[in-house]
Amino acid sequence: MNAPTGLDFAAIPERIQSEVQRAIMRSIKGVEYFSTSGPTLGSTPKDVFHSRGTMSLYHYRPMSDEIYRVPVLVVMATTNRGYILDLVPGQSFIEFLLKRGYDVYMLDWSAPRPEEKSLRMEDYVLDFIPDCVRRVQADSGEQDVSVIGYCFGGVLSLLYGSIFPDGPMKNLICFTTPIDFREMKLFSNFSDRRYFDVDGLVDSVGNVPPEMILSSFEMLRPASRTVSQIQLWENIWNDEFVKSYRMFDRWATDTLPLAGEYFRTITKDLMWDNKLYNDTMSVGGRAAKLENIKVPILHAVAEHDHIVPYDAAKHLIAKIGSADKEEVMLKGGHVSLVAGANAVKRLWPKLDSWLGTRST
Amino acid sequence: MTDKITDPIALWQKMVGEMEKGFNSFATKAMETPEFSQAMNRAGGAAAGAQKQFADLMEKYLLSMNLPSREQMTGIAERLQAIEGQLGEIRSMLSQMSANSGDARIGAAPRPPRTRRPPSEGGAQK
Repeated sequence: MNAPTGLDFAAIPERIQSEVQRAIMRSIKGVEYFSTSGPTLGSTPKDVFHSRGTMSLYHYRPMSDEIYRVPVLVVMATTNRGYILDLVPGQSFIEFLLKRGYDVYMLDWSAPRPEEKSLRMEDYVLDFIPDCVRRVQADSGEQDVSVIGYCFGGVLSLLYGSIFPDGPMKNLICFTTPIDFREMKLFSNFSDRRYFDVDGLVDSVGNVPPEMILSSFEMLRPASRTVSQIQLWENIWNDEFVKSYRMFDRWATDTLPLAGEYFRTITKDLMWDNKLYNDTMSVGGRAAKLENIKVPILHAVAEHDHIVPYDAAKHLIAKIGSADKEEVMLKGGHVSLVAGANAVKRLWPKLDSWLGTRST
Repeated sequence: MTDKITDPIALWQKMVGEMEKGFNSFATKAMETPEFSQAMNRAGGAAAGAQKQFADLMEKYLLSMNLPSREQMTGIAERLQAIEGQLGEIRSMLSQMSANSGDARIGAAPRPPRTRRPPSEGGAQK
């Protein structure tokens, strides 16, 4: 019964008891947290099919008795590791695709070595991706390949698709892919050409250090890291919460350095001159216009994406030359769109129904 | 059960959430200004310069200690990378030769047939 003050006095002992129990559990689990490692990530069985410097091509072992004709190549963003798409069983996008009958390959990245500072956009778009596509074709025995690009992996896939419009890319799926870099307002301001000496930075450090990449991501929401640590402490008695926290925190802080020349091009061509949006982008002297892409395309964007705001991504579908094109906006943020409980319910089934009919 | 309005824990959580939103919003506005960009890049440039000077100093130190220089290590890394690349090529060629001869891939399990149809076309959902 509620007292006139609005307090339910009868429930107070129960609440106190619950909080005392949680406080005890926090102490026990807190010790456990610091003395154990997190869950093993990226454990879906795979073979490292090819590896060359910063580039690795994985082939995941099929989990279905019968697979779709067209293999799928996932192109990961160059700033982060691919295991975000393969967290733990039951929360792995890769595992989901395999169980739904797709033959899955992933182009993943490791930290570029100091001598790889000279890797250029050309190396990524005209060498790494085509090389992987050729290997997928040879391994699968199929000419067609569907490409899935996550975040900047989507940008690389778009550049690849626009330079090689005659195939072999059969379908393209982009997750949270920016094309209008003016609309990435904070990144745009951080790299303001009046104050950001990208040449000086690249010439002095070679590869752009991961700490710089990570801090620029964290600055987009400066209070969130502290708040997430408060939330961790409040919920440390909850094993599921802790597991989830550890998975995402490990991934988010496992940022990769960027090859210096590649970063220089991103800054000058995309952040400063917005060439992809302005249809003036070229890679290695080859024009990369989005209108060249004619294959079926699905673009999944997140309603609350603070890294790639919708304004930076919304023009993609309009600028693509395909007749079969679709944008789908789903609830969630930049990461929860593709990984975690929400993705299992929202994005993955949508992607399966879209891609399945185009993979035969 | 206490409701959310009177539950001090729920109130605390709500307050933390609101503070997070408020601070993020405030900081975002501040970070969108050119003054912020100027200050940030000035500090970042100084840090990069200091890092470069430190790296040069370390290289001289390593040289005086008769340890391999960065350039030498990079040279070894490049050679290793070339060897890795060649190994990858050999492996790929072997797989290709094996596939062409009709044998199962070296060390690989047999692949399922590529005959799957989507459920909408009457394919089975396994």
